[in-house]
Amino acid sequence: MPICEGVSMKYVKNMLGQSALLAVSIFIVATTSLAAEPWAWKATLDGAGSGQAIVMPTALYIDAERQRYYVVDSGGNRLVSFSREGNLLHAFTAEGKLQIPYDMVRDNADVIWVVEKGRNSLTSIDVKAKEILTYIIKDGERTLVPDRIDYKNGIFYVLDKETGQIAILSSDLSVKNWISCSECTSGIVDFKLTNDGIWALDQLDKKVVQFDGEGKLIKNFDVGQKVEFPVSLAIGPAGNVYVLDRHVADIAVFDAQGGFKYTFLAKGWSRGELYFPIEILFDPWGGLCVVEEGNGRVQVFGR
Amino acid sequence: MLNYYQIAVISWLAIVFPIAAAADTVCFNCHKKETFSGKVVHQPLAQGKCSACHNPHVARFKGLLEEEGSALCFSCHGKEQEAFKQGMVHQPVRSGQCLVCHEPHSSSRNGLLKDQLSAACFGCHDKLPQKFQYTHNPYSKGQCYSCHRPHQSVYGQLLKDEPDKVCLSCHKSQDLQKGHVNYPGNLRNCLSCHNPHGSGRKGIVRAVLHAPFAQGCKECHDKGKIQGGTQNCLRCHEAVATGMLARHSHLTGKGKNKCMACHSPHAGNDKSLLKGSQLQVCRGCHNDTIARYEDRLYRHPKAKEGLCMTCHEVHGSNRVAMLRGDGNAICTRCHETQGKFTHPVGEKVVDVRTGLMVTCISCHLPMGSDFKYELIYSGSKDLCIQCHKRY
Repeated sequence: MPICEGVSMKYVKNMLGQSALLAVSIFIVATTSLAAEPWAWKATLDGAGSGQAIVMPTALYIDAERQRYYVVDSGGNRLVSFSREGNLLHAFTAEGKLQIPYDMVRDNADVIWVVEKGRNSLTSIDVKAKEILTYIIKDGERTLVPDRIDYKNGIFYVLDKETGQIAILSSDLSVKNWISCSECTSGIVDFKLTNDGIWALDQLDKKVVQFDGEGKLIKNFDVGQKVEFPVSLAIGPAGNVYVLDRHVADIAVFDAQGGFKYTFLAKGWSRGELYFPIEILFDPWGGLCVVEEGNGRVQVFGR
Repeated sequence: MLNYYQIAVISWLAIVFPIAAAADTVCFNCHKKETFSGKVVHQPLAQGKCSACHNPHVARFKGLLEEEGSALCFSCHGKEQEAFKQGMVHQPVRSGQCLVCHEPHSSSRNGLLKDQLSAACFGCHDKLPQKFQYTHNPYSKGQCYSCHRPHQSVYGQLLKDEPDKVCLSCHKSQDLQKGHVNYPGNLRNCLSCHNPHGSGRKGIVRAVLHAPFAQGCKECHDKGKIQGGTQNCLRCHEAVATGMLARHSHLTGKGKNKCMACHSPHAGNDKSLLKGSQLQVCRGCHNDTIARYEDRLYRHPKAKEGLCMTCHEVHGSNRVAMLRGDGNAICTRCHETQGKFTHPVGEKVVDVRTGLMVTCISCHLPMGSDFKYELIYSGSKDLCIQCHKRY
C-alpha cells in the first residue's frame, strides 16, 4: 500500500531497518574506538622539581597500604619515595652503601629487600633497626644472579638472570623450588604475581607464559608479531596482558589468550613518550606505571 | 537475437583487445626482441606483454615502470611476498631490490638469476675473501645457495636449516666420525671449529684456537660431558665476570652456558672467538631492531659496517643501551671537535623534556635515521622545537 506517490510501506520498513543497523554499527565503532585509545598521562615521578632528579630508574615498588611509590634509582644508588599524588617524599641512600640497586620489595616485617647488581646480592635494609645485611644467594655450588624480585605471602620470588628461571626462596633465603618454562629456550626476563598464578615473559622467544600457583605451566602465547624487544609485562584489571617493548618504546596489549588488541605510546622524550623503558606495572589505583630508564622518570597513565 | 547493447559490447571487445595485443608487439619494432632472448625468458615478455610492467606512454618511475622495486614484482608474485616476510629477511629483499640478483627480462639461468650469481653475492658481501688457502668446495665454485637461502630463512645467516643439518646434507655422518676419532662425545656444532667458507688451516678449522681446546679437551670436558655452565668460562675470564656485575649484562641467551650465545669455545676467526662477525652475532638476538635501522637513510659508518662493539660494551654496562660511556663521552672519543665547539651539552645543560643532561644522543641517533647527520627529527625545525618551544 503506498504511503505517498512512489513510496510503499515495504520500502519505508526497509529504510528504517537499514537506518537502525547503521546507527548500531556507528555506536559499536565509536565505543570500540574509545576502548582502543584509553590511556592518558596522569603524573610523572622524576624528582626534577625538587632538585633531586632521578638518574636511571630500573624498577618501581608500590606500597598500597602507605599509598606510596618507591622508585629504584639505579643510577643514583638510592630509593626515592613519592606520594600517590606524585610528590617526592624522601630519597634513601642507605648511607651511600647501595651498589647499583636494581629492584626492591618490602616484606611483612617492613624490611626492604634490594637486588644489588653491583654486589650480585640480595640486600636487606631494616630502617628501624638501622641494619643493612647482604646475602649472596646460592643453589648448591652455583651462585644466583638476582634480577627481578617479588614477595607474596611470606615468600620471595627471585628471577635468576643466568638461568632465566624464577627461584622460590625459603625464609632462610635458600632455594626451595624453581619455576622454569620448558617452552622458553632463552629464559624469563620479567614476571608478575597475580591472583591466578604467575605471568612471565620470555624475551628472545617473545612469548608470554602463565604458571599456576605451584609453578606448573598453564599456557603460553607468542607476541613476536607485534613486539620487537619485550622487556616487561603487566596484567591489567580486565585480565589483558600489557607487554613493554624497550626498543620500539611502546606497549602492546593482548587479551588473556594472546589475541592482539592494540599498541600505544611511542618513542620520545616528551610527556607521553618513552625512551628505553624498562618496567611496566599497575598500581592499586588504576594507574599504568612505566619506568623509563632513558628518561629518568616514571610516567603514570590512567583512563 | 542479440539486442543493440550486446552487439555494441561484442564489437568493442573485438576491436580493443586485438589493438592491445598488437600494441605490445609494437614495442619490438624499436626494442629488438633478440636483446631480450635467453634460455629463460620472463613470462610476460615471452607472451609479448610488455605492458604488464611498463607503461608505453608515461610513468612515474624510471624505465617507464608501472611500479617501483619489488612492488612491481609482487604485483604478480604475491605468494612470495608473504613467504619472504618470515624469519630473517635478506636485506636486498627487504629493501625491494629484486634486480640485485634477478634479471627482469631474460637470463641463461633458472629463476632469471644473473649469470654470475656469486658475483652478485660478493658485490655486497665484499669483505668476504674470494678464496682461502683451504676453501670449502661449494664456496670456491660460487655456490652460495648450497647452504644459504637467498630471500629469507628462519635460521641464522640465512642458512637452509640448522647449521649441523646443513653440513650433514653433504658430509656423511660415518665419514665425519673417522675424521674426529678423539672427539669427546657425539659430533655436533660443526661451526664451533670450522669456518664453512674456508680457512688457512687444514680441515678449514678456524684461524684462532681457544687455548684449552688447543691443549686438549679435558679442561672443559670430562668423559664427554661439559663441566658447568657460564661459570666454567668465567673462572678463567675473571675480568669479564667483574664486568657483568653491571646494571645491564649479556648474561642471557639460549642454552646453559651464556658465553656460548656469542662465543665459540673451540675456535674462532679472530681472538675474540666470536661465532661470526659482530653484526652476525648481535643479529642473532637483535634481528628486528637491526633490520629496522638498516632501512634508514642515514647511518653512522660504524653501524653500517656492523661494528657494534665500537659503541656498545657487550659484556656488561651501567649505561642505557649498554653504551661504553655517557652520551657525550661515547661520541667525543672520535668527534673531538664537536665535543668542544657545538650546541651546549654536558652536565650543566638540562634537557627541558626530562631534566637530564643534554648529550649528543639527545639530538643524534647513530643507529640510523631518515634525517641528515642522523638527527632524530628534521634539523630545520622539528628537532629544535623539542626544547626551544617558544620558537
